[in-house]
This record gives sequence, structure tokens and C-alpha cells, in this order.
Amino acid sequence: MMKYAMVFNSQKCIGCQSCSIACRSENKVPEGLYRLQVKIQGPKGVFPNLAFDYERFSCQMCENTPCVSVCPTHASFMDENGIVDIDANKCVGCLYCISACPYHARFLNPQTKVPDKCNFCKDTHLKLHGEPACVSVCPTDALVFGDLDNMNDPIYEILSKKNFTRKKEHLGTKPKLFTIPNKKGEIKL
Amino acid sequence: MGIHRRDFLKGVGLSSAVLSMPGMLGAFEGKLKGSQKFVKSICEMCSTRCPIEARVDENNRVFIQGNIYSKATEGGICARGGSGVSQLVDPKRLVKPLMRVGQRGEGKFKEVSWDEAYEYISVKLKEIKEKHGAKSVAFASKTGPDQTFMNQFAYGFGTPNIFDHGNTCPSGYATALTSVYGSGSLSRDFADCKFMLNFGHNVYEGMVISYARGVTKALEKGCRLISLDPRFSVLSSKADEWIPIRPGSDAAFMMAFIHTLIFEELYDKKFVQKYTVGFEKLKESIKDYTPERMAKECDVSAEKIISLTRECASYAPHCMIDFGHRATFTPEEIEFRRAIAIANALLGNIETKGGLYFPKGAALYNKIAGQKVAPIIKGSILPKVPEPNEPRIDGVDIKGGEFSKIPKTRGIYSKVYETILNEKPYAIHGLWITRSNPVMTVSNSDEVVKALKKLDLFVCVDVYMSDSAQYADIILPESTYLERDEHFLSDDGKNPGYQVRQKVVEPIGDTRASWRIYKELAQKMGFGDLFPYKDIEDFRMQQAYEYPEEIYELKSKGLTSYGIPLLARDKESIAKFVEKYPNSKQFLDEDGEFSEILKCKTKSGKIELFDEVLEQACGRGALKYNDPKLKGDSQFYFIQGKVAVHTNGHTANVPWLNDLMDNNAVWINQNVANKLGLKKGDSIKIKSEVGEQIAQVLPTVGIREDTLFAYFGFGHTSKWQEISYGKGMNASHLLKNIISPVSGNNVHTIGVDIEKI
Repeated sequence: MMKYAMVFNSQKCIGCQSCSIACRSENKVPEGLYRLQVKIQGPKGVFPNLAFDYERFSCQMCENTPCVSVCPTHASFMDENGIVDIDANKCVGCLYCISACPYHARFLNPQTKVPDKCNFCKDTHLKLHGEPACVSVCPTDALVFGDLDNMNDPIYEILSKKNFTRKKEHLGTKPKLFTIPNKKGEIKL
Repeated sequence: MGIHRRDFLKGVGLSSAVLSMPGMLGAFEGKLKGSQKFVKSICEMCSTRCPIEARVDENNRVFIQGNIYSKATEGGICARGGSGVSQLVDPKRLVKPLMRVGQRGEGKFKEVSWDEAYEYISVKLKEIKEKHGAKSVAFASKTGPDQTFMNQFAYGFGTPNIFDHGNTCPSGYATALTSVYGSGSLSRDFADCKFMLNFGHNVYEGMVISYARGVTKALEKGCRLISLDPRFSVLSSKADEWIPIRPGSDAAFMMAFIHTLIFEELYDKKFVQKYTVGFEKLKESIKDYTPERMAKECDVSAEKIISLTRECASYAPHCMIDFGHRATFTPEEIEFRRAIAIANALLGNIETKGGLYFPKGAALYNKIAGQKVAPIIKGSILPKVPEPNEPRIDGVDIKGGEFSKIPKTRGIYSKVYETILNEKPYAIHGLWITRSNPVMTVSNSDEVVKALKKLDLFVCVDVYMSDSAQYADIILPESTYLERDEHFLSDDGKNPGYQVRQKVVEPIGDTRASWRIYKELAQKMGFGDLFPYKDIEDFRMQQAYEYPEEIYELKSKGLTSYGIPLLARDKESIAKFVEKYPNSKQFLDEDGEFSEILKCKTKSGKIELFDEVLEQACGRGALKYNDPKLKGDSQFYFIQGKVAVHTNGHTANVPWLNDLMDNNAVWINQNVANKLGLKKGDSIKIKSEVGEQIAQVLPTVGIREDTLFAYFGFGHTSKWQEISYGKGMNASHLLKNIISPVSGNNVHTIGVDIEKI
């Protein structure tokens, strides 16, 4: 049993989209749709003191899961390792989960007719190589994947040392995707 | 192979438009034959050659990631690299040789066999050779292993006119480094740098994984990064300070920087005395370029220039002034890049941690180690063909001449198109290009098209019907890098190494690799003996038959590295090296440094702060600031740069990458946009002296008020590439085909006027 989680270090992210392409490639995401996107926002500030923000959009792997609770057939579920996933065989295509997700992380896959989203490459790269595809290709190591239940996991150390945020925390969804916020001109440990 | 492309075609989901185009893959839905285990190889989605590994899985998916054995990339890969599969199975990929029917540029082609294609080409080449001489055919390639075969073919045929893409990309820094250090290929120790000055070398968007990782590691360790760039780039966003310097005036900043180093005596006197020549002449040439005077030119205050110089020097020798990559900002590129090369030498940051260093090949490394550490694998096994005894069209071959710093395998590529049109110094009647797209990448695209239309023979080797290929007489479809094996390549860093490209899948359709194309055509033309190998495996065995174990390791790991890292002036590195290789002690000099490694291939054998050869050739021995006057008073500077998800003129039609970005809006300062009433997405006409383009605007605070910026690689004109056709703008239509002195670069900045439409 694990409690899989991911750190997105936006100080180190350069918005290069290699994660997004690796995800598409490994998980056969239909063209034009994304399980994972990184957006470069900005620049903001007063010339010439400017900054870009780098933001990851993907499933937040909530511990309190709006998408699971609305699913009438238990097709949306959380597995024993804390990964929020979809059982295509049980899905009746009601799309409640898509509208329930406060992070807009789900989309309808036009090929399978089943909602689709990031599942940490559970059936693909994680299964074969021990980590999600986006993590393995990131040129600047802006992504760290690990087990929150293991105190020896590097992710544990990072989260105990660094400030981090989680999206829409006020909703009480307790996401397991942690963001280290970007600070202008600083990539420092 | 005997497999016809139609074996792969399925009627379902295939538009008639795709079917009507001959020679293209269509919607590939066949089974890929390839390895289910990760095969170690080398990427070719750009020219960098990052180490990769790729596999086909049971569901017929290809997955590509970085090679984990690489110390420089540690498994990282960029979006372009990850999209190799999207190019591999792209319906618009070429898979059959095509022959033009109808007028040139009309866009009518028919599929032909390789034999028919070879026959046509060899007859035409012989005809041109008889009528006008072999020299009237030019050959050009994107930099890469393919050049080995193309250049051999060209010399075998008898022309001296071979080119790579250098003058539209890295020639500026390479010639400058050659002038100062005698070699155009110095490496940068980004990861250990403590203070970095960067002039628009946007390593986070012009993606080279090892650079991006290196800079990130340095920043993590607290390196100070200063980005001087007229627009706010991703690199600027990670920098401690962004300084929006005036376009084209970077040389002014560097002159003042060197002035401050010298006259405040901040330079490394011992290093200068021991390893360099020409210091007094440099001092003389720089004496009038005070920070106060130069500040007006570059729009950076004198105080700022002085404080940055002092700060940089305080970190020496663990600091770096990055010499950049793609040039050229101005016609004065050589002065700017050479000023950078010289400033680094003054700081003494050569062969130090966080500075610059010479790549150490096996022969040199073994010599210094005093024992055989690394195998010496031959670069090429091809018999040396003497250079044809004819003058080149670009003057690069004139000994001691202005352009003599440019290698003869590189040349001044954009001269080809000028020469086709003006026939000076003599006419060019035939052109062979491979993975080159001059209509996109050479300045003044309209002239390039005119030139292409004038040729008697135009052969194009490509994977796509590019903007340039559409004007060809014959298009030869090359296997993509995922479908071909190549010879062993050296991959030297602080210690020697090798790397190899290996195929992941069997070729789709009727494509061939370069090693085969040139060999077969040479055989047809009667000089097949210049290609003495059966296939690429035979070539590899001839390169390295003495080292069977190394071959095995190289093929299984994709890359090898021998010995330990060596920096010839870093105490810690030297101590480790001497401990490991005790025989090396004999090469230590009185300061305990391996000064042997700093012996330069310059005329003096030392680092040259004043270039006697250039002084003789064109009076450019000293550093000099000439204001290049790039625009009129009311005009904007038009500048351009790379984006992380595309490679120059090559990838706009790769479906996954096109999906990420298919257009390039032009950045304009928000205040200026407000004044002109321009909102995001509004269209403007951009006009220069030579052409015009329509573009959408992106008002932003991230650019100077006198500057417009666009990513390049958009505005494609090949209708065959439907998803990228006509989207965005291409600055090459606006740029004049100017060759900058000494470096021979195509100049990439121009003054423009804009109007709202």
C-alpha cells in the first residue's frame, strides 16, 4: 500500500511541454486533448521587474474525491495506493464525474467514450518503470513522485522543507499534487 | 523491404485529400515492427543529438524518453524529442521517391522507384558537369552524421561547394571562438557556474537538455544569472535580473565590460600572461569604450555595466559569459561574440569549474593520462577524397582570408542563393539539399524561391514536402532517425566518449538512410569505390573492430564514457586525475596545471586577444564597436527567437507539436499597443525593406517599446503540410540577405514599420 503523491516545483518548471508530450505518448491521449498541461502565465509585474508563472493542470489526486462520490456505478474510484482512477467497464457515461471535478481535470475520450484523466501512468509508465512518464522525462527535474507513507521517500523530505500550495484548498479536497510556488529569480533549495 | 506504402493504408478515416497526394504515408495504422525493449539511440528532432531510448509496446505504441545512462541529460527529453513518434507515423510524411511533373513549383509530382530517381539524378548531374563543371553543383545539409556521406559524394563528384546550416545559426559564436581559441567547439560548465551573463541564449526555449539541466543545477546552488535580452524570455524569468538591452547593441555592453575589466585591473593577470597574446593591442583597441560612452549605445546605465563587471570578476574563475547559440543579431556579430570570447579569457575562467573548457577527445586524454584509457574509434572509414581543385563560391577556402575561420564543411550557406541569382563568382546550376529548408531559414525567402526556380537540377532529401522541397525536381524520402542505424560518433566532454544512433522500428514505406542513398548513387555514377562498406554495420566494424567489448557496451548503452572528468586548471580535478593516472604527472607545469590542454590551434598557439590573421585579411584584428544602425527612427527592431516546442523550420507540421503551437503572434509592448489601438489577436502588416508579412499581435509588458518579437518556424508556404500551411508569420520574408563580416552569418534583425489591418 502506498500513498502516491507528486510535487510540481514551479520554480524549476520551464513550461517546455515535455511532460505533456510524454503523457500523450505513453497513454495514447487523443490529439487535441490533454491529461496534463503546463501553462506559462504572464508576464506580470512592472517593467522590467517581471515574472512568469508556471502552472500544471492535471488530476490533483484528491483524498476527498468529488468525482468518486458522484459516480453512481463506482466506476470512479480510488485504488489502494491512493490513485484516483476510472474503471471503464463500470462506466455508464453519465459524465457526472467530469462536471464534479473542481479542477477540470477530466475529459471525455472520444475514442473510448469513457472519461479520461491522469492516473499517474498507473497502467503504463508507473507499472513498467516505477514512475509516471512526465516525471521520467522532465528536463529540469521539476517533478518529484513518491509515497507519502514512506518517510524515507525523497518526496517526504521535500515537503517537510519547502513551502508548498495545493489548488483550491478551501474545498477540502486535500489534493496530493503539491506545487512549490515560483519566486522571481530564485531556484534555490 | 518490398513493402509498399499501400500495405499500410486503411480506407477508414482517410480523407481523399490525403490519398490524392502521391508519395505520402496517409493514415498509418499498420503494425510497427520494432523492439519491445528500450533501444538506446540519439534524437534527431533538432540538431543537438540528445541521447534517447525508445521502444514499441504490445499495443503498437512507441515511447521515447531520455537515455538514463547519460550524465548530461539523466533521462530528460524535450517535447520535440518525445514527439518523434508523431513524425514517424505522420500521414504527411514522405515514403516514396517523387519526381516533378509539370512546372517547377506547380506542385505536381509522381511516385518513382529509387532506380528511376537515381537514373534521373545521375544523368542530370553528368550533364551539368559536362556543360558547366562539377563546381556548379552545390550540396547542403543540416549539421549531422549525414554530412559524412553527402560531403563524400560531393567531393567525389568534384565540387568544392559543400555547406551546412551554420550561417543561419551557430557560425557567429563558432568563428569568434575559432579566432580567439583556435577551435569553434568549446564547452560550457553550466552546472558549476556561480555567475552567468547571458545575452539572449535562451537555454530554456532553444532546448538543449544538457544546457537546461546545467543552468537549473547552477541556479539551485545559488548561481547569479543576469539575462540581457530585449524581450522577457523563460530564461529571463528564472534570472536574478532581466536587463532589456537595446537590440543589436550587445557588443557595446561587452566593450564597456572589457574596458572595465582592463582599466580597473579586474582581469586575471597571471592567466593573461601565461596563456594569451595580444593583451596590449586589446587594451589599446578598447581604451575609448568607456562604460559612460557605451551606456548610451546599449541602453544599460554605466553604473550597471560597471557593477556587473565587478561582480562577475569577483566570482572568477567560476563565472561565465555565455557565448550563445543562434546568431546573428547584427552585422557586427563577430565583434560581439569575439568580445565575449575575449572577456572569458580575461576572467581566466578557462578549464575551470563553472567556466569554459576544451572537449577532450580520446587521443589527447590518453596522451595526458600517459596510458590508454579510451579506445580511439575512427570518425570515418571513408577514403579521403582530395578537395576539388576549384575555388568555392563563398571565399571560405581563401587561406588567411576574411572568412577563413569558417570550416570548409560549413561554408556560407546563404551565399548559394545569392550566387544562383547573380552567377558570381560563377553560376550554380544544380543544388542538392538534405534536411534543409532554406525557404524558411535563409533571409529574404522570396529571393530564395526565385533562385530555386532558376536551377537546372534541384534534389531534395527530406521526410516532409517542405517549403523548399515543393520546388524540387526529385525528392528522396529519408528514413527517420527512429528507423535507421548510423555509424559511431565521438561525444567528448570533460572526458572522452562515444555515442550511436540505432533503429527502434523497421523503416515504414520505401525510405532509405543516407549512408545507403549516397553509396548507391555513387555506384550508379561510377565512383562507388569512395564508399567502401556493405552496410552501416560493416562501416561500424571498420571504425572499431579493435574494440569488440567497447562496441558491445556502446550498442547496449547507446553511449560510453571513459576515464574521469578533467579540467586542466581545476586543482581538485587535477588531483583526482593524477591519482588515477600517475603517469600524467609529467605533463603538469610549474603551476600544477595541464597547460598542454590549453595549447590552441591559433597562429600563435595561444589564446589570441588580437587576431593578426583577421587584421591582415580585413582590418578586424582588434575589437571595435561599429554602431550597426539596424532601423530607422520611427521603425521597430524586429527580433526573433526559438520556442521549446518547435525546431526552426522543421517541426511545424508534426501533429503533436502543431497541436501545442501552430502560430506565432508578434510580441509588442503593451504601452505601444495601447497607443496604436492594438488588442490581442488584432492583425498587423509588418513591412521591411524587402518584404511584408501579416501577423497577429500579442501585447505584453515583456518587451521593449522599440522592439517586436516573434518565435520563428511559422508561416509555412507548402500546401502539402496542411496543418501548418499559412499559419503565423516568417521573419525570413522580412530579412535582407546580408552576410556579416568574418562570421559569414545571415543577419536576423531588421527595422520594420507596422500598420493595423
